[in-house]
Amino acid sequence: MRFLLACLFAALAFAPARAADLPLIDAHIHYSHDAWDMLPAKEAINVLRKAGLKKALLSSSSDDGTLKLYAEAPDIIVPELRPYRSRGEIGTWFRDETVVTHIQERIAKFNYVGIGEFHIYGPDADSPVMRRIVEIAKTNNLILHAHSDAEAVDRLFAQNPTARVLWAHSGFASPDKVREMLRKYKTLWADLAFRSEHGSGGKVDAAWREAFVEFPDRFMVGTDTFTPERWYYIEEHAKWSRAWLADLPQDLAERIAYKNFEALFAGMKIGPK
Amino acid sequence: MKRRLLALVFLAPISAALAQQPTFTPAEIRKIVGHGPWPPPATLDAGNRVSGKPDAIALGEILFFSTKLSGNGQLACATCHVPELGWSDGKKTPNGLSAVDRNTPGLLNIRLNRWFGWDGGSDSLMGSVIRPWLDTREMGVSPVHVAKALREDAALACRYRKIFGPLESDDAVVMANAAKAIAAFQETLATSRTPFDDFRDALAVGRADPSYPEAAKRGLKIFVGKGDCQLCHFGPAFTNGEFHDTGISQFIAPGKIDNGRFGGIKFLRESQFNRLGRFNDDATGANAVATRHVETTHRNWGEFKVPTLRNLEATVPYMHNGSLASLHDVVKHYSEVSPDRVHSDGEALIRPLRLSAQESDDLVAFLRTLSVAADNRPFQKRHDSRTCE
Repeated sequence: MRFLLACLFAALAFAPARAADLPLIDAHIHYSHDAWDMLPAKEAINVLRKAGLKKALLSSSSDDGTLKLYAEAPDIIVPELRPYRSRGEIGTWFRDETVVTHIQERIAKFNYVGIGEFHIYGPDADSPVMRRIVEIAKTNNLILHAHSDAEAVDRLFAQNPTARVLWAHSGFASPDKVREMLRKYKTLWADLAFRSEHGSGGKVDAAWREAFVEFPDRFMVGTDTFTPERWYYIEEHAKWSRAWLADLPQDLAERIAYKNFEALFAGMKIGPK
Repeated sequence: MKRRLLALVFLAPISAALAQQPTFTPAEIRKIVGHGPWPPPATLDAGNRVSGKPDAIALGEILFFSTKLSGNGQLACATCHVPELGWSDGKKTPNGLSAVDRNTPGLLNIRLNRWFGWDGGSDSLMGSVIRPWLDTREMGVSPVHVAKALREDAALACRYRKIFGPLESDDAVVMANAAKAIAAFQETLATSRTPFDDFRDALAVGRADPSYPEAAKRGLKIFVGKGDCQLCHFGPAFTNGEFHDTGISQFIAPGKIDNGRFGGIKFLRESQFNRLGRFNDDATGANAVATRHVETTHRNWGEFKVPTLRNLEATVPYMHNGSLASLHDVVKHYSEVSPDRVHSDGEALIRPLRLSAQESDDLVAFLRTLSVAADNRPFQKRHDSRTCE
């Protein structure tokens, strides 16, 4: 009997996921200033609900966008603090010391789960501003959501070996490189936002499948709404994600779809202080 | 001594002309020469068995200007594709049976495309003719309507039979054949040689072309240099035939957007008139390889077709939504486009060019040398719709 139950459990664990009703959390959403007029907060939340998302990791330029959506739907929005006060700061923020003050002031008033998504590459990850942000994240137990190359990720971990880093777009690196980095750092997670090659046509690419199997607890899906218009892609992206996740065993699909996210942010306090 | 003096006299004007030119590096010359020769060789469409056939071209011309193939009997292809306007309509966005969201593209050189329409929703010229017929905002007709119009007009039916044989009972086949005739006609629409082509040909053999304006030369240098415009506006037709997000808004209205190439790929794959279907005349299927493999990717959301730059002056206004009213506005857009808006990982080719006023004027001067007024004369119809020649 025990053997039969074990077989049944194993069969369920390795059965392909069911696409249509798979819960999903989107780990890469922005609601930046140029979206607010064309897509008011209520409508933005409707988009997330229509896509069937359980939660969404949200950061915005400026952070006011994140707070607007959080106020509208605290049940779905998981806020992180973006260092940019407008989108034009993507390439300059890490040289601007006022960013540190901005971060500190915001964190003093609100509980976020992380700092990011920020863009940092190569040696710039060792800039004084970036170093301060790594320290602030450490002090406040926040994750770092880094849109970075592998070199910058190395430099972030060199500053704080116990940092928790969510690697945006998994650095647009190859699956082999992503695996190498995940092996190297036990507290590195990988978002798959704005990548298509791992799940094109509803089939999981062989090299990516190996990565998912080796690190079932580290991957997450995300849309990346880097323009206002991309909000209208969230629903399509959710359908697309469910399609390729259905090509994985159910347990693995559920982890990537939402359980890894829930585990990473479990117990973190969110909301006004 | 006398001979040497004579040689100097003959060489002097050439040297002077060369001295006035902006200097082009060998790499720039290679890029410039890559925009020719013009015209390119004529080729037939393997997917259209009547491509290049005079009888089909004649029927296609008649149907192109006929209002019988529209839902209200008042619209023809030529209503929006006006010959004197580069076979476009000069409007931001047109009205067919109702308002349409996209700017009417010109038709000159259309045969050189691989994908058709701003979103590439058609993979053949035949498909691109059928699409506005079936769109309820544009011509709003069905295969039944098109087949009936051909069957009930004695002259049209006669012309059809001479090309395709008896009018089939399958209305979709009749409609596809009518579209193939119009496609055969559209294949004949081409631009003439331009001042740029003369300059390019001279440069290719190391000669000077003193008639080519200095401002245009400076603009050309920006086009192949600082601007790297030729990365997308590539080759003799000045287009790579593909799709990019150039930072133009996708919003049609609050809450309504144009998803561009993403929707185009979906439309194409679902269309019974794509090259994977029964209306493709290429028995080898070789012309359907791209259609078989094209897949939506995240980057396709908001991408639009790279248009040809030939005869650009006549096809104002510009971009997929007609939002830019002049060539200066287009150059200003690329000069100031926000790199955050186009996202460096999504669209790595687009970056703000930060052109000075002089550079912008020079780039526009170059673009103007890709047009000639003669290409936009009223079209002289060659065939009588009332007869069956």
